[in-house]
Amino acid sequence: MSSPISPACARPETALSRREVMAAGAAGLALVALPAPARAAAPPALAELVARITEGAVPERGKISFDIPQLVENGNSVDVAIQVESPMTDADHVRWIHVIAEKNPFPDVARFHLSPRSGRADIRATLRLATSQKVVAIAALSGGGYVMADADIVVTLSACIDGG
Amino acid sequence: MAFNARITMPAEAKAGEIVEIRVLVRHPMDRGGQVDSEGRVVPRKILNRLTVTYAGEPVFRYDMHTGVSANPFVSFTTRAVETGDLSFEWREDGGATFTRTARLVVT
Amino acid sequence: MTSAGRALAAVLLALASPAFAEEIKPGSAFLSPQMQRQQEDQGRNPGYLWVEQGEDLFSRRDGTTPTCLSCHADPKQSLRGAAARYPQVDANSGKLINLEGRIEQCRIDRQKQPAFGYESQELLGLTAYVASLSRGLPLSVSAEGAARPFYEAGRAFYERRQGQLNLACTQCHDGLVGQKLRGDTISHGVGTGYPAYRLEWNGLGSLHRRLRACSLGVRATQFDYGSDDYLALELYLAVRAKGLALEAPGLRR
Repeated sequence: MSSPISPACARPETALSRREVMAAGAAGLALVALPAPARAAAPPALAELVARITEGAVPERGKISFDIPQLVENGNSVDVAIQVESPMTDADHVRWIHVIAEKNPFPDVARFHLSPRSGRADIRATLRLATSQKVVAIAALSGGGYVMADADIVVTLSACIDGG
Repeated sequence: MAFNARITMPAEAKAGEIVEIRVLVRHPMDRGGQVDSEGRVVPRKILNRLTVTYAGEPVFRYDMHTGVSANPFVSFTTRAVETGDLSFEWREDGGATFTRTARLVVT
Repeated sequence: MTSAGRALAAVLLALASPAFAEEIKPGSAFLSPQMQRQQEDQGRNPGYLWVEQGEDLFSRRDGTTPTCLSCHADPKQSLRGAAARYPQVDANSGKLINLEGRIEQCRIDRQKQPAFGYESQELLGLTAYVASLSRGLPLSVSAEGAARPFYEAGRAFYERRQGQLNLACTQCHDGLVGQKLRGDTISHGVGTGYPAYRLEWNGLGSLHRRLRACSLGVRATQFDYGSDDYLALELYLAVRAKGLALEAPGLRR
């Protein structure tokens, strides 16, 4: 998020910066241009991340609203609100809602477990987003299906960072 | 720093009413891997789970990973069914747990 | 005076004192509406986690010494407005002292306990608690009498170019208010929200911590927490913000 001016937020340097990887990826050259170690470390595609938690099922779009600022003021704490249209009865309810941030170091961000006793599927939380990326919310329904919504967000860079 | 939680919810509700429960806790949620000012790598230490029961029955669970903010906030809903305690239990990496309770009177 | 005369006088006044040429707005005025709402919401503003800690410390007994509460009974009334009068000159020592300094002074002189230390969680908590008792009240810090030389020193600091970028506070915080600096919006540089919870910090921090970030930003000397330089600047900023409501614990980016 911040440039590593303060030793407290310094990170070990890697062979290729994330920006270089991103730039190459945007140009469609990612796999061709990257040396072998970087290729091995390439993050799994978002579809894979989703499939892993839906056991291969492809979630439907709709019935879920995912409210997250398009322009994130500080990635340290990002407000999200997620609602799923559901009667929340024993027969038809949301079992859980899962959030994936594809470019976070650990893309699985959070999971909220609900039940018919929730009354509504209506969640708010504060998340941490490492960089500009696509963020996905997936809800598992009691009938076995899944619904999802995604959002492309931009994490802005702060000028007034802390020097201790 | 000592654990601290602020739980905001109505003290009373009508039977069947859906109440919103808002929870703010004090925790650095150290995601690990950063280098501190003395050059040591900070180990991961986060609250990894919040479990909420209402009169003994589980009503909500929040699985947290490193992508949850420091001093995390979460809000959720539950249907008021009977007068009883909502009990909140946080589990931290390493096994420590923290608990709080709040009473909901149902009329 | 005619209306033309009044307008001329206003222009002359504006030219004479650029710092007061426009209405000074609090830091929260430069936040998104969502963060403004969160700042006012005690169940959502994480700063209140520290206020709670401070309230707890206020009545806690260390050994046989008096608690804060022993002297300051009913603090919601007795200390209401107190934070809005700092920094001020300490009558005994003649030194300029801010709220943090006053709390530490009580701790050392009256409670006979070791100082918490600037920027310790305990001192931040107590400062946030005492400041929260004046929330919404207008700042009324004096620049007169014994405070005058400190005020002048603070103003000189504010107007002096410094650092590798050779910038004075006034160049951004009077001249470029509302404009963007990377993802930030330049504010009037008012300290009424401190101690504040900054997302950048993931925690509560003092005004002096914020000033140290400013100094770093222009690649200038970072002064110590509680240093004379920052105390004088804090006084100048407080006088400049006279009449603005205290909003600690603020929520900042």
